[in-house]
Amino acid sequence: METRSSFNLTVTVNSQPWSGEVAIEETLLEFLRERLHLTGTKRSCESEVCGACTVLIDNRAVSACNYLAFEANGKSLFTIEGVARGNELDPLQEAFIRNIGAQCGYCTPGQIMAAKALLMDNPNPSREQIAEWLGGNICRCGAYGAIAQSILEAAAAYRSKKEIR
Amino acid sequence: MLNPLKLFQPTSVQEASQALVEFGAKANLYAGGAELLLLLRNGLIDAEILIDVKKIERLRRLDSLDGTLHVGACLTHHELATNAPIRERAPSFAYAESQLANIRVRNQGTLGGNLAFNDPHSDPGTILLVHNASVTIGNAKGERRLALGDFFLDMYATALEAGELLLEVEIPSLPAGMTSAYKRLHRYQRPTLGVAAAARIAGGIVADARLAVGCIGPKAQRLTELEGKVKGVPLTDTTRIFAEQKKYLRDVLHPVDDLLGSVEYKLYMTGMMLGDALAEAAGERRPED
Repeated sequence: METRSSFNLTVTVNSQPWSGEVAIEETLLEFLRERLHLTGTKRSCESEVCGACTVLIDNRAVSACNYLAFEANGKSLFTIEGVARGNELDPLQEAFIRNIGAQCGYCTPGQIMAAKALLMDNPNPSREQIAEWLGGNICRCGAYGAIAQSILEAAAAYRSKKEIR
Repeated sequence: MLNPLKLFQPTSVQEASQALVEFGAKANLYAGGAELLLLLRNGLIDAEILIDVKKIERLRRLDSLDGTLHVGACLTHHELATNAPIRERAPSFAYAESQLANIRVRNQGTLGGNLAFNDPHSDPGTILLVHNASVTIGNAKGERRLALGDFFLDMYATALEAGELLLEVEIPSLPAGMTSAYKRLHRYQRPTLGVAAAARIAGGIVADARLAVGCIGPKAQRLTELEGKVKGVPLTDTTRIFAEQKKYLRDVLHPVDDLLGSVEYKLYMTGMMLGDALAEAAGERRPED
C-alpha cells in the first residue's frame, strides 16, 4: 500500500494561486507564516481553543494551528492579509478601529476572520448570535463589547453596500 | 511542530481496514483531525501514518430509511447542526451539535471521530443515547451493528477491534409522543456536564422517560434504573426525586474531582439538570439558545 510523505498542494490564497509540495505534517499555520510569510495569522494556544489563528477555507472558519495544509488542496484560503482592498479598509477593520475593538491586537486577525465567516453565514446577526459565534475567539484584554459593536456596525455597512467579500 | 507523517487515502472500507491491519500500531485513522492532531502535537500518541477516511463515500452518507436517520461517520458537526432533516427529526441532537466546542471545531471535526475517540468531555454521545442510537462498524470482511451504549467501553476506549472502523450512526425516531432535550454546563469549551432526557407525558404524569448523563465520569451513560423510578410519577415530583439520587449517580457515573469542579458540585448539578432536561423534553421549558 502506497503512502506518501508529501502532497502536491494547489490552493488559492487571498485570490492568488499557489502550488507546491508540502509535507503531510505541515500545518496550515506553518504554511502561512513560515512558507508564505503571511504572519497576520497568529500562533497562540495551538489547541483549537483561542481563535487567534482563525482563517477561512471556502468561507468556513478553521483553526490554522490544527489543520493540515494539504487539506486545503483545491480550496480557497482567506486570511487577514486579504481583507483590505489595497489601501481601502474593510468595513470590519474600520469598525474595529472606530470602536477600539482591539487593545493589544493579538487576537484581532482571528476575531475579524471569525466575524467574516459569521457575516457570510448570517448578514444580520443579533448581539447574542455574535456572542455565540465568537465564543471561541478569546480576547484576553476583554474588548468583547467593542468587538460585538464593531461587528454589528460592519454588518450594517455590508448590508448597505449589498456585498460581503 | 508535528513529527513527520505519511498519508494513505483509501477509497473503500475494505482498503481502509486492510491498511489498519497492515500498518498496525504505526497508523491512526484520520477524519477531521480535531482531536487526533492535538494528541500528536502533545506527544500523547505516536503515529507515523494517517489513514485518511474522508475519501470513502460510505462514510459521507446522510439519509433516512423507515424513520431512522443514517449519519455517515465523516459528516462534520456543523453539517449535522445545520442539516434540515436532522433539525426536524432529531432537534436535540442538532442542538447538541450546534453547541459543541466552537465553530472552527464544528467545521473540522466529525461525528464519527468524536464517538470513536470517546473523550469523556463531549456532547453528541449523551443525546444519542436517549435516541437509542446504534453504530455500524466495518472491516474488510463485513459489517456489524451495535447499540451506542455498548460501543462506549471506557474513557477513550470503544468496542472497535483491530482492523475495524466506524461507518455510520443510526438514529431512530423517538416513539410517538416522546420528545427529547439536551442541556449542557460549560465553563470552558469542553463541557463539564451534559444531560439528555426524552419523555412522554400523559395528564401531567411521566408515561415514559429516557435519561443519559455524560462528561462527569469516564463515559456517557443511560440511567435505566432512574428512568424506572420516574415512570408513573407526576412531572412536578421528578425534580425532588432527581435531587435525592446523589448516591445512585455517584455509583453509576463514577464522577471525578478535576479542574471543572468537585464530585459534590457535579452530582448536585447533575440532579438539577436532569430536572431541567426532563421538563424541557416535556415541553415545559424552552431551550435557552
